[in-house]
This record gives sequence, C-alpha cells and structure tokens, in this order.
Amino acid sequence: MASRVLAQCVRQLPRSSVRLSSGNIAVRTAAVPRTRWTEQTRISSSVGVFCRQYGDLPPLTIESIKERVMYVLKLYDKINPEKLATSSHFLKDLGLDSLDQVEIIMAMEDEFGFEIPDVEAEKLMSPQDIVQYIADKKDVYE
Amino acid sequence: MFATIHVMASSRLPAAALTLKQFIQRQKVLSLYRNMMRTIRQVPDEGDRKYLRDWARDEFKRNKNSTNQDAIRMMITQANMHHDELQSSLALANVKK
Repeated sequence: MASRVLAQCVRQLPRSSVRLSSGNIAVRTAAVPRTRWTEQTRISSSVGVFCRQYGDLPPLTIESIKERVMYVLKLYDKINPEKLATSSHFLKDLGLDSLDQVEIIMAMEDEFGFEIPDVEAEKLMSPQDIVQYIADKKDVYE
Repeated sequence: MFATIHVMASSRLPAAALTLKQFIQRQKVLSLYRNMMRTIRQVPDEGDRKYLRDWARDEFKRNKNSTNQDAIRMMITQANMHHDELQSSLALANVKK
C-alpha cells in the first residue's frame, strides 16, 4: 500500500512542478513519501529533482486582510461591533481616544506579525486605512 | 495619559489649537505609551502581561486630563523610570536562563 501511495505521489509531482503553483501542493505531495520512507527505501531520486519545497503562509488578499482586521477590531472591548464599519473613524465615529488607537495598531502588529513604525501608525485612523497600509506593505494588489 | 491636550485634540471642537510645546509633549506621551506596550509584550507570562497592560492603561488614562505642564513632565519621567525598570528586569530574567 505504501508503494502504491508513493507511486501516486511520484506521478503527481512532475505535474505539480510544471504548473507554476505555490509550494503548497508540492509540499503536500512530497510530505507523503517522507512518512513512508521507513517502510519503502527504494525511492527514485527524481522525487527530489522535481519539487521545490518551502514553507510559507497562504497568500494575502485584500479581502482576507480586511476580514482579519475587522475580526481583531471586534475582539477589542472598547469597540461596539454594531457601529463598526470599514470607514468608521476611530476617534470621531467610534469615540476612542489616541491611547486606544495605539493599542489597536499594536494588536494589528501582533496579528500580522510585523512592526509598524510610530510615524505611520499615528496616521491610521480607520479600518480602511489599516487595510490599505498593510496591503501596501505586503505588496498585495488587486 | 497625561495631556488634556490629548482630550482637546481628540474632541470634535474645531481647532483647539495646541501650542507647539503641547503638541510635542503629546507626541512624547503617545510614543512612551507605545514603547511601554512593546516592552510589556516581551514579558514571558501571559497573566503578568495582562496585569501590566491593564496597569499601564489605567495609569495613562487616569492622568489623561491634567493640564499642568510641569506635572505632565514629572509623570513622563516617572513613566520612563518604570519603563527602564521593566526592561532591566526582563534583561535579568533572560540572563538567568
């Protein structure tokens, strides 16, 4: 059964590397032979040649950024989730103060895993600004 | 935290103009708050982190409305001291490991 799975994987690998797909598929199909190595030692060397493996997060889209931003904002206790919209201004519409805005930006830093410098952080006054900024920083364009 | 300036700037009243000094002080306070939060992030225990965050938030918010520039300056100095203390405790804790 292991040999059947391996044979399937080897058959799939050339197909997936020809498609200029992300590493995900190659990683998944390449991961299976790895678990079977203890049982099946005879593995064609071509397996290594065909696939390039790398680990990475799924690609960001504007939609996914917006969802994550809104999710983090809804979790923040000072924000009323009904009033929240992408264009709502933190200070003017949502009645927060600048300290809260600092906290919100820090929560975004935690969520997306990169630091936002002070100078740029103080300009981000609505969810739409944040989404736009992150998209700029992460080279997401649609 | 410290400036009323703070409240004035975030209110809807048109051009409650800050003097340059007040504006700079407000910026200092906000970066202080941010740095404090960043340092607190490095604390290993989640419970301690939450406690420190709430403490910092309360301290800053409590004095948000003061107008006296000297008092504000004192509070900024105090906050800096707390921040340095926290940083050195973190450094010591890491060295121990």
